[in-house]
Amino acid sequence: MSINAKQWLKLIHELPIKETVKIMNVCGGHERSITMSGIRGALPKNIELIPGPGCPVCICPEEDVYQAIQLALKEPITLVTYGDMLRVPVNVKKSDIKSLEQAKASGASVVPIASPMEAVKIANDHPDDTIVFFAAGFETTTAPTAAMIAQGIPDNLLLLLSGRLTWPAIALLLDSETPGFDALVAPGHVATVMGESEWDFVVTKHHLPAAIAGFTPETLLAAMYSVLRQKIENNYFLDNCYPELVLPEGNVWAKNTINKVMNVVDATWRGVGVIPKSGFELNENYRQSDVNVHFPNYRDEARNMAGKMPPGCDCAKVVLGKRYPNQCKLYGTACTPQHPIGPCMVSDEGACRIWWAGGLRESV
Amino acid sequence: MCLGIPMQIKSIDQFVARCEAKGVERDVNLFMMQGEPVEVGDFVMVHVGYAIQKMTEQQARSSWELYDEMLSSLEPNVEVGNA
Ligand code: SF4
Repeated sequence: MSINAKQWLKLIHELPIKETVKIMNVCGGHERSITMSGIRGALPKNIELIPGPGCPVCICPEEDVYQAIQLALKEPITLVTYGDMLRVPVNVKKSDIKSLEQAKASGASVVPIASPMEAVKIANDHPDDTIVFFAAGFETTTAPTAAMIAQGIPDNLLLLLSGRLTWPAIALLLDSETPGFDALVAPGHVATVMGESEWDFVVTKHHLPAAIAGFTPETLLAAMYSVLRQKIENNYFLDNCYPELVLPEGNVWAKNTINKVMNVVDATWRGVGVIPKSGFELNENYRQSDVNVHFPNYRDEARNMAGKMPPGCDCAKVVLGKRYPNQCKLYGTACTPQHPIGPCMVSDEGACRIWWAGGLRESV
Repeated sequence: MCLGIPMQIKSIDQFVARCEAKGVERDVNLFMMQGEPVEVGDFVMVHVGYAIQKMTEQQARSSWELYDEMLSSLEPNVEVGNA
């Protein structure tokens, strides 16, 4: 018999939780479900739910966005990317073009897409044009990109690959002296692709309770109940509260596809810096599809130090769960979804945008 | 781009399936389902147009319900599409 959300809440309220417990999630989808279903307000006061590094758009390196903008402006190419990426601002002078949306408005060919299949179709439909697919995203988006490449792509389709692995960001936080959370709710669809075991380290290495959750309030609350109970009983394990989709080994075919076309490399996260073994590059067999091979002069190494967020924007702290969106002084004043200052207000996965959509209108 | 949408397979042509979710049809790539072959009538979780795992009808329905609720409370410029 399955337990509904109300019953889960009752069970949580019955737990003898004495101290404050901070539970982090690493997924924009989780944060959206939590915010939209009002879970935060329905939990006991001493449970804090912290949105962590769950927004791939927010942490996409500024230098990659800048490179995409410059390629679109200066080369005779068509830049295709997920719609969320269009409004991400880079740190440039006020008079300069600061987003792909602005580049498009000034005449560059920039096309939002919803799937890698569309990138292939556009390239096939325009065989004389060069199409650059700016592919940002976590594992759930990177695996489809890998599948697209493994299936064979036309020569005129190039990749600007900004894929990231989720778990290394949590490892980075846990290796720091101030992780800022006591338990983890791990992302259900990342684990669907990569497998349950990727999150074992949270328990085995760092001795924190952890549970994988899906996206309905029931599975999120089940995961929260699990980590709280683990904490109370001092008996930690990785609980899989989304077993319908998450298998211990994940989707093996998808993982093999990623491994077939990509290498895992150290990678920059915007606002965070370099995280070891957290990004992807095309391997030797597929490097001819790397945009950097064809347009080598657009990797501006000087910008690699610019892992920064826009001035005044607290996104760097928001993505690491060090600050809540409404603790940024620009939240709801200078920064709104209509006029976003930082990427966390641009993306549907960004905590600032989600909190705003959830009705929270004022900073604290 | 991170939103997973459950869809039901209506027809299959090699690696591309015509899938449906609540009256909306889309082409879905099945390349990553080769470890666990799918059939017409099956439900799959779809990310950016690619099926990442099989699921039951009941799981699909509870996700759709959730999205209905969230979409009705979200602002109009939030796109779902087939992402
Ligand atoms: S409210 Fe805007 S400026 Fe503040 S952290 Fe969020 S995105 Fe950045």
